[in-house]
Amino acid sequence: MDYGSHRAVNDLSFQVRRGEIYALLGPNGAGKTTTVEILEGHRRRTAGGVRVLGVDPARGGRRWRQRVGIVLQSGGLDAELTVGELVRLYGGFYAHPRDVAQTIDRVGLADKCRARARTLSGGQLRRLDLALALVGDPELVFLDEPTTGFDPTARRSAWEMIDELSTNGTTVLLTSHYLDEVQRLADRVGVLSGGQLIAESTPSALGRRDVAETVISFQPWDTVSVPVSLPDGPWGPPQRHGDRLVLHTVQPTEALFALTSWALRQRRDLRSLTVTRPSLEDVYLQLTDDATVRSGAGDAH
Amino acid sequence: MRTDQHTKPKPALLLALGQIRYQLLLLVRSPLGFFFAIVMPLLLLVCLDLLTPDAASAMPPGLHYAQFLAPAVAAFSLLNTCYVNTITTVVLAREEGVLKRLRGTPLPAWTYLVGRLGSALVTSVVAVTLIVTLAVIAFDVTVSWRTIGYLAGAGGLAAVSFFLLGLAVTTLVPKSETALPVAYGTMLPLAFVSDVFFSSAHAPRWLHDLASALPVAPVTRAMESAFLPTTQSWPMTTTAMLTVGAWSVAAIMIISLTFRWEPGPIRSRRR
Repeated sequence: MDYGSHRAVNDLSFQVRRGEIYALLGPNGAGKTTTVEILEGHRRRTAGGVRVLGVDPARGGRRWRQRVGIVLQSGGLDAELTVGELVRLYGGFYAHPRDVAQTIDRVGLADKCRARARTLSGGQLRRLDLALALVGDPELVFLDEPTTGFDPTARRSAWEMIDELSTNGTTVLLTSHYLDEVQRLADRVGVLSGGQLIAESTPSALGRRDVAETVISFQPWDTVSVPVSLPDGPWGPPQRHGDRLVLHTVQPTEALFALTSWALRQRRDLRSLTVTRPSLEDVYLQLTDDATVRSGAGDAH
Repeated sequence: MRTDQHTKPKPALLLALGQIRYQLLLLVRSPLGFFFAIVMPLLLLVCLDLLTPDAASAMPPGLHYAQFLAPAVAAFSLLNTCYVNTITTVVLAREEGVLKRLRGTPLPAWTYLVGRLGSALVTSVVAVTLIVTLAVIAFDVTVSWRTIGYLAGAGGLAAVSFFLLGLAVTTLVPKSETALPVAYGTMLPLAFVSDVFFSSAHAPRWLHDLASALPVAPVTRAMESAFLPTTQSWPMTTTAMLTVGAWSVAAIMIISLTFRWEPGPIRSRRR
């Protein structure tokens, strides 16, 4: 996909399975929206092949559109129509829509049914967006940054709705730059950077996070003798970070067993013991940093 | 799984009717659209008639000024309803992203445009009926079935061509803020040279001829002739009808080449 000389998405390839929640994760300008808009049929690609529900979206007719629900990042609404009128209007475009009242209830806007769209808050508008995408009872739903600008409560309830969709067999393609959202919702995640897919896996295994080093740290009771009195264990050279001792290990179970049994023998406590794994955020930042470096000082978008 | 019941789309005719209803609902909820379509022409009719003595209106002997004014104001209301309102509301819907959202649904594009046209026609009928009724009751305007028939014919042609021209102009308007200035900035000069406010009988010949070649004068002059008792046959020449037809065809060509559903100015590589 090119814009003049600017190539927004290049050599990108991924598959989403039926019934799965697939997340496209990436920084702003990574090509998420361009990719989703090509899949939605809103944009034409300049090269390559795309099939969505077995159909090329650039040629997707009305039959295809009936099977797809879209939540745009910035979709407009007629401000002077009420929630009920809008959901009924959009439901009317489909041969077999869901029940209007149930759809409104499902997104938590039942008490706003008679309110005009212009009076809704940002979070309520996004829920109305979702209702309009769902009222046609789609097999596949595109959610482009569905919770951007939500407060924590609204995000939590949006997540529950998306989860529920997937439980009922709807396929969801989600874009997000919130890592917690991806971690919470996605079955699989693809990381986009500079218009290319730089990693793809389950959220917990992204960037080999599942087998990466675990970090164990605690406050030793004797600040002087620690390196000497530490038992043998499956960890690298111990490091001091302030008053904490930090160990890196790829065998966290054995390392913890060695450490805790040693402390018990000494009748001591491993004070403020923490065991951390690289967060999705660490992995993501690492991945996107690497991609930027590889493509030459980040001039690729 | 559930694909079978989903494959057959809803009949497009039903969708088109739904779109007419939707556009009318939007118009009723929009104070500005309602003002342009109904209130402003009625105000003009009342004010211009009260302010202009028959003697100053260059009317043929025995005729009230209102006999010219009523169809002229009717033409003006068609310009507002079908041209100005189309430009402002379509550009707004496009820039707000309403059109893009609709494009992502199974609603066929043409039903949206038919909804727009249908609601413009319904509004036109209501506005013109109010204007003519007020003119007959309050200003001694005389009408016959033939008058009404000619007015409806010329007015219908005017409404469709103004709508198409308005839709074509939307493609040249980059953002919502410029829609109203562009709409009125093109409509008012045209209305002035096209006998909507004054008869151009005393205007320079070249201006009269120029107006005849533009899309407004042929239909407004026909609507005004329809109200003259001397008019006994269809008040449009073939040339006048061809002029309106040519402008409409040009508008359709612009629409089919450049009409877009996404916000922003004309860009390449958009669907």
